[in-house]
Amino acid sequence: MRRRPGIAGLQNAAATRDQFRLVGENVAKVRTDVMKEQLATFRTQLEEFARKHKVITIELKWHSIFQLLSNFVYMNDIRKNPLFRQQFHEMCAKVGVDPLASNKGAWAELLGIGDFYYELGVQIVDICIATRATNGGLIDLLDLRKLLCQKRKADLGSLTSDDCLRAISKLKVLGSGFEVISVGKKKLVRSVPTELNKDHNGILELAQAEGFVTVEQVERKFSWSTGRAIDVLETLLKEGLAMIDDGHRDGKRRYWFPCVTLSSDSTGADAKS
Amino acid sequence: MQRLGDFRLPPFFNYPPYFTLQPVRETREKQVQLWKDLILDYCRSQKLYIISLEEDFPLFSNPKIERSLSHEAKEVFLAALVYEGRAEWMDKGHKKCLILWLRIQDWANYILNFVKDNGLEDSVMTVEEIRSGIETRGTELAGIDRGVLMRALKLLEQKGKAAIFKGTSADDEGVKFSA
Repeated sequence: MRRRPGIAGLQNAAATRDQFRLVGENVAKVRTDVMKEQLATFRTQLEEFARKHKVITIELKWHSIFQLLSNFVYMNDIRKNPLFRQQFHEMCAKVGVDPLASNKGAWAELLGIGDFYYELGVQIVDICIATRATNGGLIDLLDLRKLLCQKRKADLGSLTSDDCLRAISKLKVLGSGFEVISVGKKKLVRSVPTELNKDHNGILELAQAEGFVTVEQVERKFSWSTGRAIDVLETLLKEGLAMIDDGHRDGKRRYWFPCVTLSSDSTGADAKS
Repeated sequence: MQRLGDFRLPPFFNYPPYFTLQPVRETREKQVQLWKDLILDYCRSQKLYIISLEEDFPLFSNPKIERSLSHEAKEVFLAALVYEGRAEWMDKGHKKCLILWLRIQDWANYILNFVKDNGLEDSVMTVEEIRSGIETRGTELAGIDRGVLMRALKLLEQKGKAAIFKGTSADDEGVKFSA
């Protein structure tokens, strides 16, 4: 278009620009709406699928639907809705795909699900290192979740243990010794390369009752010799997993385990009463 | 949350092993750090300047869990503060400790800001006025330890920001601030 001189020309150009912008906005809005609608449908199907556990024609459908998923609406959804994430994983397991195998994979890339877990992984590492001085590198999964939610400014319901476990399982490839161990009813996340043997685990389990153990208690419970009990407790102490307490009236040394007790501010008092 | 007067105590205060000096280095470092912060925060909130190791100090025992710090532990925590310049032993026997929740330098700056904010440049205040006068009410300066205040003022004098002069008796020293 030839540029015309004069005020009228400038005004004209401005008006044209406005028109284009309006039309553009309209198109974008319509597209977003359509996408939202499609995604809603997709989600319903997805949830239905997860409920019925049917695997048959789904892979074909996936393919076409996936084109839409780079949309942010969906990404936000998968990041915000823990139930949805779990269903997604269930489904992936059924189809035989590991969506977290690589961030480059079509699944992970389009869904942003890889990013979700990698971000979570980084935050987990962060918290584990920050609390290491207090708990010796062993943290209760529930405590970890609470701290994660604080960090993410989200409520506890938005992040399930399942999410954490998945993120941690991905950290294993770093070879830094991140691992989840079960001690009694609790799940503990270990971020130091200490090998915990059966003796250690037994003591941690015993400590869950009151938050601490004494040498006597350990001897009685496991029928160990005094030497063995002290030896194991000293190891846990050196690893920073235990703290000594010589302040009780009975004069017996107590070994406290922050990883199984330090979840609320009243722990000490609770343990006493 | 447990309280000591109007002071909120941190969670570790209810965890018994923190009242026993920890033998393992890393755990000990963490323990000392927590206690250092607690002592400074508490003294600041209560405007306390001197901790006497011989006398009972509310922070050093927790009746709720029946634990209290040993003399050795108290000395270790205070020594850590001394090492950082946040406290000073007042005698050779380490019986009394002056807590500087603001360092002397910080006090000097605080005074200078106070003077500027209140337009007191080129005016004269007595030392007593700074400690308990109307002007300083509600600021950190209210009730400041006399020794700490004098050292901060002397520092200002060295920098040419203030001039200290004596009155007729030792009690009425005055100070003139200059911008």
